[in-house]
Amino acid sequence: MAEGVPDLTRMIANDDNFLPLKAAGGDVAAFARLVQIHSGLVYRVALRMVGAEEAQDASQEAWIRVWRNIRHFRGDSAFGTWLYKITVNTCLNSLRKERRRETHETGDEFLQLPAPPGGEDDPEAATLSRERMGEVVEALKGIRAEHRAAVVLRHMEGLSYGEIAQILEVPDGTAKGWASRGRASLLLRLVPETRESGDGKRAS
Amino acid sequence: MEVVERIGAYAAGELTEVEARETERLLLEDPDHRRTAEAYNRMFVLLSVMQQEAPEAPRGVVNHAIRRAYVSAFFRQAEELLGGLSRAYTSAFVYYLGLRGDAAGHGGT
Repeated sequence: MAEGVPDLTRMIANDDNFLPLKAAGGDVAAFARLVQIHSGLVYRVALRMVGAEEAQDASQEAWIRVWRNIRHFRGDSAFGTWLYKITVNTCLNSLRKERRRETHETGDEFLQLPAPPGGEDDPEAATLSRERMGEVVEALKGIRAEHRAAVVLRHMEGLSYGEIAQILEVPDGTAKGWASRGRASLLLRLVPETRESGDGKRAS
Repeated sequence: MEVVERIGAYAAGELTEVEARETERLLLEDPDHRRTAEAYNRMFVLLSVMQQEAPEAPRGVVNHAIRRAYVSAFFRQAEELLGGLSRAYTSAFVYYLGLRGDAAGHGGT
């Protein structure tokens, strides 16, 4: 090969950006590499969407769906967005099944989000509390599945409303509304007193 | 939009300049609203910390996904191979029995 001319075959073979397309062509080794790279993302979203007990099963199911559908992946959207979409849909399905199994609602129990020991303006103290994070995870379970998905993607995955809309297959405004209602529900579950602040009041 | 949601959007920094000023006016007027805004701020701090956490997937999940893909790919290939062989044998048998007039593609003259 002429000096200075990049070896494209080798570049593609070694570039992780091409893994989704290689996996789409049936390359199992490329798929295995994708699993290794993105398993954290899938598990993290599942953990927050369906809770610790179901997260492992939901992650496995999501990866099975990824493998089953990857041959249709054409790279029109980012692989990450496509992966989020499959993961979130898998979790939403799991939640729907779980909901059908449940015979009673447990969502009316409120949890407390006490002020951090260092005072209201001490974010560091708040960040140190593992207990409070556990409370957030528990409270998340009580809010509507679509709202939960929007809150997780927006505030725990840091995605834009455009990306969330694409993943949830809804208009941007709906994604924004779901996140807004989701975080309000989350707050009401964490700090029930805020219900009084919002009851019947509408912003002009 | 309900006040609680409006305050949430304000705390998340998602309001326009005009909406933000209106919300600040609401906060100044009502201590309950201020408490709500403070509660939102605390919640967002927790959510941002959780955002930075990167729990690793259990090894079992990764292994299971990879194993399933290899097994499924093996069966897919085996199916294609057997399907191809079976089609070839059927064609040969049909040709042998003389059920196809002439060699395929050559057409009769």
